[in-house]
Amino acid sequence: MVNTKHPWKAWLYLSPAIVLLLIFTLWPIINTVVMAFQEGYSIQQASKGKEFEFGLDNFAYVIEYRGFLTCLKNTILLCVLTVPISTMLALLIAVCLNSIKPLQKFLQTIFFLPYVTNSIAIGMVFAAMFNVVGTVSAKEPIIQTWGIINNIIMFFGGEPVNWINAGSEYWANIFVLTVYIVWNALPFKILVLLGGLQSVNKQYYDAAKIDSTPKWRVFTKITVPLLSPMIAYVVITGFIGGFKEYSSIVGIFGEKMGPPGAMGKPLNTMVGYIYDSISRQQGRASAAALILFGIIFVVTMINLYVSKKKTHY
Amino acid sequence: MKVELQNLTKIFPNRNKKIKEGVVAVSDFTFTVPDGKLVGLLGPSGCGKSTTLYMISGLQQATSGKIFFGDEDVTDLSPENRGVGLVFQNYALYPHLTVMQNILFPLQNLKGKDKLPKEEMIQRAEEAARLVQIDELLDRKPNELSGGQQQRVAIARALVKMPRVLLLDEPLSNLDARLRLQTREEIRRIQKETGITTVFVTHDQEEAMSISDMIVVMKLGVIQQVGEPQEIYDNPINLFVAKFLGTPPINVFRGCVQNGKLYIGEEAVLDVAGVEDKPVYVGIRPEGFTLDENGPLTCKLSGIEVMGRDVSIISTNENSTNPSVRSIINSDNKVDATAETVKYSLKPHKVFVFDAETEERIYF
Amino acid sequence: MSDIAKSQVMHAKDIKQLSTQQTVAKILAKIAVYAFLGVMALIVLFPFYWMLISSVKSLDEYILAVPTFFPQEFHFENYIDAFTTANLGTLFLNTVYVGVVSTALSLVITVLSAFAFARLEFKGKNALFAALLATMMIPGELFTITNYITVSKLGWLNTFEVLIIPFLVSVFYIYLLKQNFMQIPNELYLAAKVDGTSDIKYLWKVMIPLALPTLISITILKMMGSWNSYMWPNLVADDAAHHLVTNGLRGAFVVEEGGMVNFPVQMAAVAIVSFPLFMVFLFLRKYIMKGVSRSGIKG
Repeated sequence: MVNTKHPWKAWLYLSPAIVLLLIFTLWPIINTVVMAFQEGYSIQQASKGKEFEFGLDNFAYVIEYRGFLTCLKNTILLCVLTVPISTMLALLIAVCLNSIKPLQKFLQTIFFLPYVTNSIAIGMVFAAMFNVVGTVSAKEPIIQTWGIINNIIMFFGGEPVNWINAGSEYWANIFVLTVYIVWNALPFKILVLLGGLQSVNKQYYDAAKIDSTPKWRVFTKITVPLLSPMIAYVVITGFIGGFKEYSSIVGIFGEKMGPPGAMGKPLNTMVGYIYDSISRQQGRASAAALILFGIIFVVTMINLYVSKKKTHY
Repeated sequence: MKVELQNLTKIFPNRNKKIKEGVVAVSDFTFTVPDGKLVGLLGPSGCGKSTTLYMISGLQQATSGKIFFGDEDVTDLSPENRGVGLVFQNYALYPHLTVMQNILFPLQNLKGKDKLPKEEMIQRAEEAARLVQIDELLDRKPNELSGGQQQRVAIARALVKMPRVLLLDEPLSNLDARLRLQTREEIRRIQKETGITTVFVTHDQEEAMSISDMIVVMKLGVIQQVGEPQEIYDNPINLFVAKFLGTPPINVFRGCVQNGKLYIGEEAVLDVAGVEDKPVYVGIRPEGFTLDENGPLTCKLSGIEVMGRDVSIISTNENSTNPSVRSIINSDNKVDATAETVKYSLKPHKVFVFDAETEERIYF
Repeated sequence: MSDIAKSQVMHAKDIKQLSTQQTVAKILAKIAVYAFLGVMALIVLFPFYWMLISSVKSLDEYILAVPTFFPQEFHFENYIDAFTTANLGTLFLNTVYVGVVSTALSLVITVLSAFAFARLEFKGKNALFAALLATMMIPGELFTITNYITVSKLGWLNTFEVLIIPFLVSVFYIYLLKQNFMQIPNELYLAAKVDGTSDIKYLWKVMIPLALPTLISITILKMMGSWNSYMWPNLVADDAAHHLVTNGLRGAFVVEEGGMVNFPVQMAAVAIVSFPLFMVFLFLRKYIMKGVSRSGIKG
C-alpha cells in the first residue's frame, strides 16, 4: 500500500467519523453500562450531587416490575408469531416467484412495495381498516360501520370482532399487530430469499427432475437446504428487528400503546419501556437496554449455532 | 433399449426479441442408438450436440420430431417419467448431501409399485458405488472429493436406478489430462458391465474415437456422418469430418483435377480417373505419405520430430491450407535432416478429394 | 453388479395416460402458483388501495355500514384539509431540511472514512475497523439513553442539530462504501500519485464516479431514514417547530375517547406522506433493492 509517510492524513480523513463515534457510540456504551449498575440512577438527581451505590438494583427492579414483564411478554410473543410466519410466507412467495416467467418482475415489485412505506403512516391505514366506528363497548353498541375487515369477515358469514377499539381483547390486538408486522416484514425477506434462489445452480433442479423427484421433496430436500444460509440470515435479522419492535404498535395504537381507554400500556414493548424511562429513570432504562442487548445476543448466537449445524456444506 | 430419434428439431427463440425467426440448434436429426451400445455425439461447441442430449433426457422439448425408447413414444413425456440417467458436465451433486445420500436420492423418489424396501435401496446404492469404485468415500460430502471422484459419484447416481438410457454431458471435460485417460476407460468398462444404452457428448474427437461403438459427427445442428469410429476416420464424407477427426489433423491442400489426374500445384500427385475437371481440396492423412525421391509432391523441410516408433516430418507447401504439412512415417526410413526439401508419394486410400465449393467428398 | 441390482426399477407405464397426467398436473400447478401469488399480491396492495379510495371519500361515505369499494364522489379537498390539519407544509420543510443536511454531511464523512480504510495505510487500521463493525451488533436503543443525556446537557433539545448530528456516522455505510472502494484497482491510485494528483482530487475524479451506485443507495436509504424516523425525534424534539413528518402525522390525528377522527382526511395525509417514498421507489428501485438486500435494516 501507499502513503505510509503521512499516517496523519488517514487520521485527518477519519477524524469527523471518529469524533462523532466517540461521543455518540463509544461513550454511550460505557456510560450505559455504568448507569445500569448504579442503583436508582437518574440524571436529575445526579446533577443535584447525589451519589449512587453500585449494585444490581436496577436490573432487579426492571425484572420484577410488572410493566416491564408485560413489555417482555409482548415483545417475545410478537417475535415468536411474526418471524416464523413471515419467513415461511416469504419463502413460499419467493419459490413461487422464482418458478414463473411472465409477470415475475411485476409481482416482485408489488411484493417490495410495503418496504418503502412509513411504518407509522401505513400503521394508521391498518388501524383504519380494522377500526370500528361507533361505540362497541357499551351494553347496546351503536355501530356506524364495522370497518372493512369486519365487513369482509361478515361477507363470508363470520362474526365481527372488536379488533382495536375500546374494550378490545388482547388477542385481537396481537392478531392485528401480527398481520401488520408480517405485512411489513415480507418485502425484505422475499428480496433476500428470491436473490438466494436465483443464485442456486439450476442444474440441481434438472438433476432432480431426471431422478423423478416429487415437487415437495425437491422443496424440502434441495431448495431449503441450499437456501439455508439465506433463511438463517432473514431469521436472525427478523428476530433482531422483532425484539426492537415499537413503531408498528405506535402506528396502529398510538403513543398509548393500547386500545383507547385501556389502563397502562398493555401493548408496550421492550424498546417502548426503554423510551418511557429515558427522561427520568436512566439507570433502569440502561438496565433494560442491557437486558435487550443480552436477549438479542443470545438469540442471535442460538440462531447462528443452529444454522451452522444445519448448513454444513 | 434402443433409442430412436426421428427428424428431431430444436429451434430456440431469438434473444433479440425483434427477430422472429429462432435459432436452429438441431435440425432434422434422425438416428437410432442401437440397444446396449455406447454412442458419442461429436462436434465443435455450438453444434447442437448437448441440445440433442437434453432432448433425449426430456429437459428440453423438441420443437418437432419424435423420440422413441424401444417402441415407446416418449416425445411428450417430461424427464421425470422417462427413466433416464444423466451425468451433468459439472456433475450437479447435491452439496449438502453425502455421497451415499446423493446416490440414494433417485431411489428414494420411487413411489407406488416401484417403491423399494430400504435394505434394497442401500444394497443397490452400494453396488453402484462399488461399480464406480467409490465405496470407500460414501460418508464424504462432494466438496471433499476430487474432480474425478465427483464424476464417479455422478455416474453412480445416474446408474443406481438402472436407467433405460444413460446420458453423459461432456463427462471428461472437467478432468485433468491424466484422469481423463483413466476415466474414459472406466466409462467404457462400466458401460460394458451394465449393458445400458449410453449416449455421451464430447467435443474431443480422440475421446469419442477411443471409447464409442458409434460416433455421430455434428456441425451446426446437422448430422454430418454416422458410423463406427474407424469407418468415419477412414472414410470421411466431407471436408469438415475429415478435418475434425484424427490427431495430428489431416493435411489439406488446394488442388484441382484435370484429365483424370489430381494436381497439387504443378504436380500431378495421383490418378483420379473418372472425376470431372474442377478445383478441389485434397486431404491427406499424416500416415498417407511415403518418402520417395521420385515422388510427385515436393515440400520444404522445416523439422523432424522423432517419436520412437515413428518419425514426424514437418514441412511446408505453398498449397497447403494448414500452416505446415505433417507426415508420419516409419522410423526405419532414413530422413536427411539437412536437406532443403522432401519428396513424397501418396497412399491412395489415405487421400481424400473434396469438391472445392461444396466441400463434399469426391470418390474415385 | 448382482442380478437384483441389475434389474430395472422403473416399471413400464401407460405412456398415453402418463403424458396426459403430467400435462394436467403441470397446468394445475401453474394455476395454483399464479392464484397464490395473485391473492398475496392483492393482500399486499389492499392497504394502499384502501388508503387511496378512503382519502377521497366524504366522512359520511366512509362510515357507511356497507363500505363502497369505489368512492361515490371524489372529495379532493380532503387533501387540502389534511395539509392544513396536520400542518404538513411545515413538517415537509423540516423533514426535507433535516434529510438533505444530514445526508450531505453523512456522505462526506462516509466517503472520507471509507477512503482512509480502503486506500491509506496506518497503524491500527484493522483493529479500528473491526471495532467499528462490532458496534453494529449493539441495538441502537442502548446508545439512545446516554445520547439523550448528552444532547440535553449540550442544550440541543428542540433544535435541528439534535435531529442531524448524532446519526451522521453509519458504520454500515462506511463498510458498504469501503468494500466498493476496495474493488477499484490500487494501480489507479498509484498512477494518480505519480501524476501528482492530490488525494482529494483523486477521490473526486476517480473513486466517487466509480462508486456512484453505492453512493446513490446510501443517499436513498439515508433520506428514507429521515422520512421515517420517529422515536428519536419524538424524544428530543417534540415542539411543533421541529416536528418531522412522522411525528406530526401521528400526533395530528389522536382521538380522545368518544371523539371521531376524520378518517378520510387522515388517509389523505397518509397518502401525501407516502407519495414521495413511492416516487423514489418507482424511479430508483434498483438502488434501493441493492442497498436493502445487504443491510437488513429498515431505512
